Amino acid sequence: MAKGNFFRANKRYHRVFWPLMAAYVALCFGGSYVINQGWVSGTVATAAIAIAVAAPIIGVFLVMLRLVEETDEYTRLRQLKSMVQGALFTISVAVVIGFLQLFEVVGQFWTFWFGPIFFVAWGLAQLRHHFWGKTV
Amino acid sequence: MKNQLRLLRTERGWSQAALAERLGVSRQSVNAIETGKYDPSLPLAFAIARLFELKIEEIFEDESGEEALAAE
Repeated sequence: MAKGNFFRANKRYHRVFWPLMAAYVALCFGGSYVINQGWVSGTVATAAIAIAVAAPIIGVFLVMLRLVEETDEYTRLRQLKSMVQGALFTISVAVVIGFLQLFEVVGQFWTFWFGPIFFVAWGLAQLRHHFWGKTV
Repeated sequence: MKNQLRLLRTERGWSQAALAERLGVSRQSVNAIETGKYDPSLPLAFAIARLFELKIEEIFEDESGEEALAAE
């Protein structure tokens, strides 16, 4: 709990987060363009591009974890509780959709949406902690 | 847990942000402690006590402890 830890951790987070987001946007457009133009062929090359596009998002998760480790105790607790609630909500949605698919109630669901669902659920959980109730 | 943090802070004319910086925590932490939404850890409580040159029990009041004593 050294003086200024929270502020340094936040600075470090933003210093890495925004370049990663910029890389993600560039790779999203760039990757789609390369695939659409047919410049690459074969499963391995296409998979490599897909993983490259996803890599910055994985990087964001790692940066978020580092922020949680380095930030102050209250923020850490709030973030972790919100993350767990967001993750549990997302897994619940995934399980329900899985059974709906198994019983042929719904068709194909784009699993890509689980990322945004988690981030929205995480954000809503943070708002709930912010406006209502005792954190500990 | 009740506490005197807001009173002590305003007595010194510090903003929540200024106190947060002195403690090395976020302004949200200070606000959550002042409003009773969050009870600080022992190390943070000691840091607060050191900053104000008081004992922890002069800043934080253990309501559950008092309730337990009253029930006896």
